[in-house]
Amino acid sequence: MSLKSIAPGIVLALLAVAAPAMASDYQLLFLLQLLMMIALAQSWNLISGMTGYVSLGHTAFFGVGAYAGALLLQWGFPWWLAIFKGAGIALLVAAPLGVLTLRLRGPYFAIAMLGLNEIGRLVATLWVDLTQGGDGIPLSPARLPTLLQNYYTMLTLAVLATSLIAWVRYNRLGLELRAIREDEEAAEMVGVNTTRNKVIAFALSAVIPGAAGAVYAFYTSYIDPVSVFAPALNIQMIVMVLLGGSGTVWGPVIGAVLVRTLHELTWAQFPALHLALLGVLIVAIVLFLPKGILSLAPWRRRVRPDRAPGSP
Amino acid sequence: MTAAALLEVRDVHRDFGGVHALSGVTLQVARGRITGMIGPNGSGKTTLFQVVSGIDRGATGQVFLDGEPILGLRPSQIYQRGLARTFQLSRVFPQLTVLENLMVAGHRHDRAVRERAIGLLEKVGLREYSAVAGSDLSYGQQRLVEFLRVLMSDPALILLDEPAAGVNPTLRNTLWDMVRHLNGQGTTFFVIEHDMGVIADLCDDVYVLSEGQVIAHGDFETVRGNDTVLAAYFGKTAAHRGTEND
Repeated sequence: MSLKSIAPGIVLALLAVAAPAMASDYQLLFLLQLLMMIALAQSWNLISGMTGYVSLGHTAFFGVGAYAGALLLQWGFPWWLAIFKGAGIALLVAAPLGVLTLRLRGPYFAIAMLGLNEIGRLVATLWVDLTQGGDGIPLSPARLPTLLQNYYTMLTLAVLATSLIAWVRYNRLGLELRAIREDEEAAEMVGVNTTRNKVIAFALSAVIPGAAGAVYAFYTSYIDPVSVFAPALNIQMIVMVLLGGSGTVWGPVIGAVLVRTLHELTWAQFPALHLALLGVLIVAIVLFLPKGILSLAPWRRRVRPDRAPGSP
Repeated sequence: MTAAALLEVRDVHRDFGGVHALSGVTLQVARGRITGMIGPNGSGKTTLFQVVSGIDRGATGQVFLDGEPILGLRPSQIYQRGLARTFQLSRVFPQLTVLENLMVAGHRHDRAVRERAIGLLEKVGLREYSAVAGSDLSYGQQRLVEFLRVLMSDPALILLDEPAAGVNPTLRNTLWDMVRHLNGQGTTFFVIEHDMGVIADLCDDVYVLSEGQVIAHGDFETVRGNDTVLAAYFGKTAAHRGTEND
């Protein structure tokens, strides 16, 4: 990656670092949520955008991280350590699950992931002794990080997630993951260890949602099964990635900014309409922009070859 | 296994429900030679390639590559042991660039692999298409890129499944010239091809498959006059008439 290609990212990150000095609490909360969606969209992008394995249950790792963070905070761990452990627990859940579920392809994998999210929601609902079931877990304000601390933590996660995608995209792992997306059998036939690569991508893609779930628990100071194992959150991740450009570095960032801004502009005045808008957006992407906004950029237009010598 | 055999297939069976796609296939591909495989449509040629390359792991029997058993291994493991193949229909990675299509088949991700890929593209006049997506090439160019891709790891044995099908004569000649050149340098080939002119011109020996069984083996002149082969291709009556006319 050249300095020129990462320059916009550095500028954006610096602006985000400076934003709290200029923003109100409300605006800061909006930015925090935007950063969370960037982190989540990039995580989904790592497994689904890169390999084509569409996960409909990535919020399971967000939920696991949220509960891990909330419980660890209650048990006396410092908030920053609870975030680390939340990410670690999500990783420990994802690695063996990846070995099992990534044998499935296409819609079977998508449905298995949807089921995983439902299992997470049910466990959180039914294991009342640990999670307080449907009543949820309110967190004591005294132990919680400040809004500013949450903001900078989420900024770090968004930057880490984007850097991870950039690193993978321009390395051997990314090339092999994209080959898997294009034709898994042919990739295997040129020496790509498809199972190992998919599991690595899947496990890495669970870490950031795990950490983001813990930060979410801290800034909302309350979680319940419905709010953290929310399929709608997964749909948002998918829309953001598809809108910006699947498998790209900056596509999910662009998608997250557009979707969150649209959401922010509509939800208060049109509480029902903003969900309908999301639906319209999904249909529009599928019909008119299947490769995302980034595919419109002039430097990404595909080179069309002239006929090669001897070509018919 | 004879000392000269690089690939040995022993009594391989593959059934799909009640269909016996391979019924006890036994054959050897001699090291350093070009071995052809012909047979009517549905005779099991591609199924045998699928089994040998590890893509179809539902077969029984034994397959040895350079004396080591490979039946049941993953395709990537077989590739690492020195066997590469092309597919019956072009399988370039459509959204990867031509250069990426080749680099993914290199074992590493460094300058040496990149230079090797560029060198191969240069040999066939495709270097200027390095940044073009695989799907934007003509079909013949895609087949050529797929062929170059298998060369990235310097395999000892290359299986070609009708590599010239749908390819224009110029690119076809380029392809066969490369096969001859590589064979001259020691690479072994096992080729499925329907063009009997190519088989006659290119192959040192030929196996004929019919209904999942090897029905003939030898040089091209030997198998072309074999009654069983003629019967498999044209039916018993036609084969008999052909023999009479001779």
